[in-house]
Amino acid sequence: MTLPQMQPMAYQGGVEPMQVDAPPEDNDNSNEEEFYIVRNPTLDLETYANSYKSLARLHRLMFIATHCPSMRVEALKMAIQYVMGTYNVTLYQQLHKKLQESIGSNATTNLPDVAGGGAQSTSQDIPAFDIHWVESKSKKAALKLEKLDTDLKNYKSNSIKESIRRGHDDLGDHYLDCGDLSNALKCYSRARDYCTSGKHVVNMCLNVIKVSVYLKNWSHVLSFINKAEATPDFSEVHGKDSSNQTIMTRLKCAAGLAHLATKMYKAAAKQFLQANLDHCDFPELLSPNNVAMYGGLCALATYDRNELKKNVIFSSSFKLFLELEPQLRDIIFKFYESKYASCLKLLDEIKENLLLDMYIAPHVNTLYSQIRNRALIQYFSPYLSADMRKMASALNTSVHALEDELMQLILDGQIQARIDSHNKILYAKDADQRSTTFERSIMMGQEYQRRTRMLILRSAMLKNHIHVKSTSGRDNGQAGDAVQSEPTTGQRTGRGDLSNSGEQQ
Amino acid sequence: MVSGLEQFVNAVQSFSSQGNYNDLCEVLRKSTDVLSKNLQHLDNVLETLDPFQHSLGFLAVLFVKTSNLPTHMTPPSGAAEAAGHAEARALDTLVFSQFQNFIDQCDSSQARLAPETYSEVCHAITRVLVEQKRPHKGIDLIRKAIRKIQKHESQLTGAHADLMQLCLLAKNFKPALEFLDVDICSISDEGSQSEAKYFLLYFYYGAMIYAALKKFDRALYFLEVVITTPAMAVSHIMLEAYKKYILVCLILHGKVLNPPKYASQVVERFIKPLSSAYNKLSLAYSTNSCEEVQQCLNLYAETFNRDGNNGLSKQVLVSLRKKNIQRLTKTFLTLSLADVASRVQLPSPRDAERAILNMIEDGEIFASINQKDGMVCFHDDPEKYNTPVALQRLEEEMERCTELDRKILEMDEKFLVNPAFIKKQQCGSTEEDIALAPAMSGQGSSTFTM
Repeated sequence: MTLPQMQPMAYQGGVEPMQVDAPPEDNDNSNEEEFYIVRNPTLDLETYANSYKSLARLHRLMFIATHCPSMRVEALKMAIQYVMGTYNVTLYQQLHKKLQESIGSNATTNLPDVAGGGAQSTSQDIPAFDIHWVESKSKKAALKLEKLDTDLKNYKSNSIKESIRRGHDDLGDHYLDCGDLSNALKCYSRARDYCTSGKHVVNMCLNVIKVSVYLKNWSHVLSFINKAEATPDFSEVHGKDSSNQTIMTRLKCAAGLAHLATKMYKAAAKQFLQANLDHCDFPELLSPNNVAMYGGLCALATYDRNELKKNVIFSSSFKLFLELEPQLRDIIFKFYESKYASCLKLLDEIKENLLLDMYIAPHVNTLYSQIRNRALIQYFSPYLSADMRKMASALNTSVHALEDELMQLILDGQIQARIDSHNKILYAKDADQRSTTFERSIMMGQEYQRRTRMLILRSAMLKNHIHVKSTSGRDNGQAGDAVQSEPTTGQRTGRGDLSNSGEQQ
Repeated sequence: MVSGLEQFVNAVQSFSSQGNYNDLCEVLRKSTDVLSKNLQHLDNVLETLDPFQHSLGFLAVLFVKTSNLPTHMTPPSGAAEAAGHAEARALDTLVFSQFQNFIDQCDSSQARLAPETYSEVCHAITRVLVEQKRPHKGIDLIRKAIRKIQKHESQLTGAHADLMQLCLLAKNFKPALEFLDVDICSISDEGSQSEAKYFLLYFYYGAMIYAALKKFDRALYFLEVVITTPAMAVSHIMLEAYKKYILVCLILHGKVLNPPKYASQVVERFIKPLSSAYNKLSLAYSTNSCEEVQQCLNLYAETFNRDGNNGLSKQVLVSLRKKNIQRLTKTFLTLSLADVASRVQLPSPRDAERAILNMIEDGEIFASINQKDGMVCFHDDPEKYNTPVALQRLEEEMERCTELDRKILEMDEKFLVNPAFIKKQQCGSTEEDIALAPAMSGQGSSTFTM
């Protein structure tokens, strides 16, 4: 409450405490993913960027900049423009460096489409590196930090719980604004001890989740989602008013994101499908379009036909999401109508754009192949035999490629069928239960015999104390033995050597 | 000196006639000294003793004689040496015939009182035969020797390993199978320090014999016995067995099964890292690509050769081809020979045809080749388990299982009436367990540090 008044007084002094932390963060992000290049995206960068706020926007723009050369300069410019509104000086410097590099490389390779013609006009468009801005922002950031710190100390000395909590939150907000995520996380977590109501706890959880998502610390995200959902006040009023709905949707989306990132696609689909469009407003995390896309694709890849029908196509809440992404809606409907060729074709069309989405890009190929496999399995499920030529045309592929795909699925046990390669027909396999039972029981019996024999032998082994001792011990034993039975030790050793050589054979 | 020998002979004769074998054993243990000092007179001593009545005495003399046999590894070059060699050979032949005489006639109840000496003699005879490269000579002899001393046919003796070694070197496996096919239920207590060595050797050689006969499941069983033997240190036999275990596992199952949990930690900690070439091979195998396996074989050819696993490692490649063809039978009903060749990475359809033909003949796959179209038709297993033969087989298997079950019950009952076991149970398992637990954990940690 009192903050706005105090701010002007605190703009003094200048250290830059947050410079150290941000760069490794970025390195982490770019190292994780394999490098690829997207050539012809059909993305409207401006609208895309405007659906996000704060770091989400910056991270996404940077992701596009790394993976799409044709949009690189544009994306970087927008990012710089946006970062000027924050205290994130480090990121500003980084972005400028990248921009400089990309302009340099463009000038040499001479790509005309990059920023509307030659290098000259580009350099005019490019915002110049503003050293004054950097300095003043750093100073301001440091001052604000100091002020917030002193405030917090004051609150603590007065030990007013509510103020302390707010102090921590404000400090966390500031760190976040500066791009210092780990400190932000610390501050937000510290607020936990000063929460007095369930609402505060949930708020704290949301803050921690937000930062953890930026940090890509997914296990942390999930545990705090659980914590938030377990908060008693929250679960009591859950579903009554709209603010709670918003929180609920936000939690679901964060959980979906965490599951997606940890490759638990089915769980991810479940979470995303529970989101509510009317309350889906958190541009610092995801846009509603993202929710639709992530949820839809995960559901398509993991749900069977019934689940897809019940949870996606006839879901009143998710239907609204699907309206945001008409292409995806078509894909899901085509899939459900078993029009696999057009479904797969549409999927290929949106692939480029998906590869520019920082969260789903690493999973696109896995999800696509899962969707494809599901299509194959579903296509064949009602048939006893299927013509592979028709199947190939229905699935938009060649007969030979289809054969390979089917072979893999059969070996994985996903399709019970066999291929008649001569006539190009796929036959469902009728498993003879009786024979397999016989086979299995005989196998089992043999296994039992083997184990029991081993057991009997082992008990004899243990009874006789047979075990391999260290070699020195054994030699000593032999020597002792020799002394006992034979005085001529020289000959005895000769014999020992021989028995060793015998052992080698 | 002669008096010492006379004393020995007298003692043997008097104790034997009284049937006081325990005291005799005591005397014999002390008299090895005297005997080995009078090597040249021992033949006379043997002549005065009767192999049946004085088995123990006879054995003791034989033991001293055999353990003092000269070793002659180098082949004779000069005439003088040749003469010396012939002399040694004559000496060996004499000992050999004496041993034969003893085995034929000895009293097995007496011999069982000195099992260690008995198997030492066997080891020595085997050693000499191996050195002279005449392993076939000893097979029948050692076979008889084992039968003589065994209390029942499922008992393992020290001489088993000798027989396996001789059979392996003579490439004559039939006499070995007679013993190998019987499951070992008990082990003769020889109280010797190198018992573990001969135990391991028996199973190691046995596995090699089975592998040579391509009975890979038995070979794997034998190798598993070797690598699960309790161990506190790395034994070379176990190391070599582990290498062969990997190869045989790949040939039989197409993947390396983890050794059972009760296998010694030594295997995981020391033996596994020592056989890296083999681990690489199994990794290459898991890709199902013949090329990779071939590359791996070429890369480590020297290692495999040095370990004497050349043949087995080549069979790994063959088995992968077969496995790939078998995979095809699971997914295809018909396939052209050209496709088979390309999928299994064989050079031409003709090779594919030959490979499939061989597999059909061996009953490894069920298929028919249509030469007109160049197609292969894969069939299901024709076994429907509705013939008397199949039922009989089932019956036999069940019988074997119940037999084993009976054996286990028997062992269980034996345990239940074992005084030591009962005492331990009554002693309050609580105290014992608590007392044992730290000791066990201490042991565990000590093996870690080794």
